[in-house]
This record gives sequence, C-alpha cells and structure tokens, in this order.
Amino acid sequence: MIRLENVSMEYRLKSERVQALRNVTLHLLEGSFEAIMGPSGSGKTTLIQLIAGLLTPTAGEVIVSGEHLRRLDDAKISAFRNRTIGFVFQFFNLPGYYDAVDNTALPLVFAGVDERHRRERARALLTEFGLQERLDHKPDQLSGGEAQRVAIARALINNPKIILADEPTGNLDRETGTHVMELLQRINRERGVTVLMVTHDEKAAAFAQRVIRIEKGELV
Amino acid sequence: MIRRRDYLRLTTQKLALRKKRAAFAIVSVALGVVVVVTVNSLMAGVRDVAVKTIWTEELDPDVIRVYTGENPYEYVITPDEQKQKAKKRLQYLTESVFDEIRGWPGVEAADRPVSVEPVSISSLDKRPRTINELQGVPEALLLRYVTDRALATGITNAIPMVVGEREVRLRFDEKRGKLEDDPDGEKTWLGREVTIVLGDNYAHLTHFNYDYGKHEYKRVADEDVTEQRDAIERNYRGMYDMTIFNTTLPLKGRVVGFCPGSKALIPFDAAVMCEKWIDQRERLAARNPPSRTEEPESYGERGRRAPKPGEYAEGIVLVKHGADVEAVAKRIEDLGFNVATRARTFQNQAEAFDSTVHIVKEVAFALGGLILALACALVWSTTSKTVSDSRVDIGLFRALGATKRDIRRLFLGEAMLQGVLGTIVGMGLGWLLAIGISHWVIGFARRSVFDPEEALLIPDSIFSIKLGFCVLLIVGAAVVSLLAGLLPANRAANIDPVKALKRE
Repeated sequence: MIRLENVSMEYRLKSERVQALRNVTLHLLEGSFEAIMGPSGSGKTTLIQLIAGLLTPTAGEVIVSGEHLRRLDDAKISAFRNRTIGFVFQFFNLPGYYDAVDNTALPLVFAGVDERHRRERARALLTEFGLQERLDHKPDQLSGGEAQRVAIARALINNPKIILADEPTGNLDRETGTHVMELLQRINRERGVTVLMVTHDEKAAAFAQRVIRIEKGELV
Repeated sequence: MIRRRDYLRLTTQKLALRKKRAAFAIVSVALGVVVVVTVNSLMAGVRDVAVKTIWTEELDPDVIRVYTGENPYEYVITPDEQKQKAKKRLQYLTESVFDEIRGWPGVEAADRPVSVEPVSISSLDKRPRTINELQGVPEALLLRYVTDRALATGITNAIPMVVGEREVRLRFDEKRGKLEDDPDGEKTWLGREVTIVLGDNYAHLTHFNYDYGKHEYKRVADEDVTEQRDAIERNYRGMYDMTIFNTTLPLKGRVVGFCPGSKALIPFDAAVMCEKWIDQRERLAARNPPSRTEEPESYGERGRRAPKPGEYAEGIVLVKHGADVEAVAKRIEDLGFNVATRARTFQNQAEAFDSTVHIVKEVAFALGGLILALACALVWSTTSKTVSDSRVDIGLFRALGATKRDIRRLFLGEAMLQGVLGTIVGMGLGWLLAIGISHWVIGFARRSVFDPEEALLIPDSIFSIKLGFCVLLIVGAAVVSLLAGLLPANRAANIDPVKALKRE
C-alpha cells in the first residue's frame, strides 16, 4: 500500500542543512493501523508529508497505491491527495467561516462534487459520528473532541484509502483523546482504511497494530 | 476540479471576511466608472441639444459674411503662397471689392455691415468731443422715446434688432453742451435719425404651452396669439413714442446676421442710414474738435493695426437664391477673403463643439482611468492582504486536494469580483447621475430657448446607454482587475502547504 524506498529528505533551515530523513525504507500494508513515534524533530511529520505528496524526497522513492509520487505533476498529485489521502491534524484546521457540514464536505469541493451531494454525504457522516446536533455549528461552537470528529469526518468524506493523522490527540484531554482514537480504530477496522498516525502519546500509540519508532531521521 | 459555482461561493465567502477593505476597493472602482459612464452616456445627447438650441444665431441661408480674418498688413506670405496666383488677400475689403462682387450673377447686394454699439445717455450729455467717440446709433436716442428706462436697458440685451428712422433737425447747444431738437433753426443738422430697438416686440408671443404632466408642447389657438399680439401692442403704445413705434414696425426688416455681444449686423437700408447719420455726427463733431490731442495711429512691426478709411474688415453679401450661396462664397474665397455661410458656420460651430466634447471625454476618461488605476492598486492590496491572511486555509486546501491552478483562480476570482462589482455599481450610479444631469440640462435648455418652435426640438432626455460600451467596460474592468490580482494570486498558488500548515 505504502512503500518508501531509501528515502532521504534534506532541507535548508536558514544557512544550515537539516537531514530530516536518512535512507528510510518502510512498507505499510493496506488496512493496517500504524503509529509513528519519536522525539520532536525526528522526522515523523516529514515522513507523513512525503507519503501525502506534500514534499518530494531528496532521494529515494515514495510509492503509494502503486503511484510513484515523484512522477506526478501538480494536478495529479492534488487529485491523488484528494482521493487517496485523508488528513487529520493536531489543531483540526477547520476554517472558522464554515459550519460542520461545509467543513466536512470541503474535500468534495475540490473533487468537483455538486453541493447537494456534498452536503448529503457530510450530514450522513457527521450523524454516524454522533454530531447530528452540531451540523450547522461553526468550529468555535464545538468542543475539542467534536471538532476533531468533524476533522475525521472530513478526512473520510471522499472514502480515502489512507488516513494520515498528525498528533490527532495532541490538542485534546485524555478522555476525549481516547474517544478519538477509538473512532480511528473503528474506521480502520470497519472500513479497512489504512491509518498512519504520528504521536507522542504512548496510550494513543497503543491503539495501533504496530509502532514505528524514528530517531534523528532513521527508523529504529 | 472545482465547479464554477463553488469558485464563486468560495470567492464571495473570502471577500465577505474582509468587508471593509473589499467595499473600499469596490467603491474606488465604482468611482472611476461613474466618471466615465456619466460622461459617456451624456455627451452625445448634450451635443444634440446644443446643436438644436445653442446655434440659433446663424446667418440667413442667402447671406454670406465676408471678413479678412487677420490683419492683412501683418500677414506674412508663406513660400507656398508666394508661388500661387496673386490674390487680394493683402488688403482689407474696399468699395472696389464690393463693386466687383455686386457685378457677379446671382448677387443681390454686397456691402459692409454697420456695427452698432449702444452707448450710455451720459455720453451724449458730455461735450461734443465725446461725440467723436461714439460708434453707431446710441442707446441714448432710443431712451429718448422710451418712457420706462428699465425696460430699455432690458431690451438692449435682446435679439433680434429692429431699426426705425425719422427726419430730424438737431442743434448743438454749446452753452448747455447738449444736442437739442430744433425743427425751425437755420444752423441745424438735417438728417435721418435712426432709432434702434433691440428686441422683437412680438418675440415673447406664446405659440406653445408646455404640459409638464405629459411632457409635451401644445399649440396655442390662433385667436389667443392674436389677443397676445394686441396686448403687446397696447402695452408698447404706452411705453413708446407712437411715431417711433409706428415707423419702427414697417422697417422691421430681416436681420441678416449677428455679432457677439452688443454688436449687430443690420439691414443694408438701415445700415446706410446709420452710416449717413454717423458721418453727419462726425462732421458735427469736426466743427467742435476735441480739446485733447487724438492719439496717433498705432503701427505694428509689419504694418498698421487698423484699416484706413475706406477699408473694412467685414462685409455682407446677399445672394438672390439661397442655392447660390456656396458658389458665390467660393468665388469670394478665391479673392482671398474668408467667408461664413449658414452651413459653414453651423458646421464650424458643430465641429468646435465636437472638439470640446472630445476634449471633455478625453479628460473624463483620463480622470476615470487614473481613479481606476488607483482602484486597481486597492484591488491588488486587498487580494494581497487576503492571501497573507489565508495562508493556513491555502495550505489546508492544498492538502485536501486543491491544485495550484485552483488556488490561483480562487484569488483571481476575488480580484475580478471586486472589479466587476465596482464596475456594475459604478455604472448604476453613473447612469443615475447622468439621468439627473439630463433632467437638469433639458429643463435649462427649455427655459433658455427663445423660440417655442425650437423648444419642440429639445428631446425629453439626453441620456443614452450604449450597450457595447457597457460590455467593454465590464470586460475591461474584469481584465484590469485580473491583472491587478495576478501577482497575489500567483503568490497564493506558490505557498508551500507544509509551511502554511506548520504551527510553532
């Protein structure tokens, strides 16, 4: 499903060269739930950004669902992200001017789905996640747990094969974080969606089938 | 691929987040458009009304005005002109020129016009030397026969002019320093006194009534016009010496032309009388020479400034049939003089007005363009600010599947929306303003025209919408605002989503 072959990532920070990843080779199976753990600056987030095609590796190949991401132009990589990847962010990233339905339906806007179908699917998904009372609420009217559930619904709206979650519980209390992890686990089991999660939280990582540890840009 | 409707939705949503800034940009665009639209939708109509109403002082169809244009004695012949056949351009109009023209077939008369300037009665009351300064028939003589001085002052500004005459015997009373009637005196000046009435006695007859409800003129019944005529006559009988009034009416001949200001070109027979009268006045004045020395005639570097006695800067030619006017005018031109006919005058005036319209349009368009350029800077600034404020959203959109092209189009759409909205608002306001100005101009023109017949020519509106221009304006505004949004939109498209989504 996801293959990283000898991937290195180097970038410049002011005048300094930073080696974010060094010769990383990683294979993730379809339908797996994996957690990436490591200290800050170890390259966890860079890894999932490479898998999402938001970054291009300095060396090596990233192959997702059979697509060599390096070979895709902007339009194709955008379409790939839209259809194959669902993002869950630590800080939710829900635009404040949209209500829960519109926020959830946002990826469908870029997929060219008409408004009626978008809203129908978003409503159904939010209802499934127990947010039927919050459909027309703006992000600032939602709790942290509700906002993250809206973000997860948004990640799922386009039926992606992979969910990339960057510290999904990082901005939540323990109890809410547990609920969010249970939701991700349920999605992984029931829908067969591959979940790759970056986390510092051992409890959250415990929900994953495998924990990948990374230090100074290398898998350990 | 984002649907078009969603582009519009996303764009308006973004714009709505920055209402004040966007409104400022839209209003600025609108302001520029107002100037351009107002001028464009009015100028054609203003020209139309001006041509129909302002140019009423044209010559009669069978009259040619002849003039030298510039002082021929200060005229320098160009090398090209030196090669041409010699013409009489280097001299003023003279009696011999008039004689030549009179001899042409189709010409009824040719002569110099008499320029008449009203002078105050106090001028006449002064010592004889001041009589020397008098030009033409004084208003003072008119005032002698008008019982209401205020009326006389009022009518001196009116047109047309009617000339009357009577035989008089005048004597200059040296003791009293005044000209006095002396019908039986031996040393009296015998001549024909020409009296001028400025203003047609019946000019204010109402032939039409304007129905403000229906916005149309209605013709007044003939018997009502006759009644008005009688009333005016009764009124004039009370104000004028009846002898003058009665002698004036038969002489109320055709006015062959007008000069600007208080000067008027009067019929030939009256002009001849005027000249005789003036000559006699001058002879009278010569017998009583002025006490101060007259200033010597002034000469310029290339010749004298003023024509000598017997030379004239202007003349009038009457043709028997109006159809011959242009042919005769051409022959006079061949003599080296400038001519003016009704058609040429009208054309010149229309061309002059067109040139003014052109200048006004250019100035308005330049001003509008300047305001629009400033407005574009505002559009650019607003879009740039939106891009800066939307970095996280742009990063999110990119992560969720928006292409660079999508992002670029989103911000270009925002810039274009400001431009097009501003243009539409500006067009609306411009039209409202133009309609208001149109009403005012029409009202002013209807109040100003002298002849009700001419009032009928004034349209109900001078406002016109040119569809092609509107489309051009909207397309132009869209293109210009797109250009204004290009840099910020490109910047937005090139925002790195990884950096945009990074939170320290």
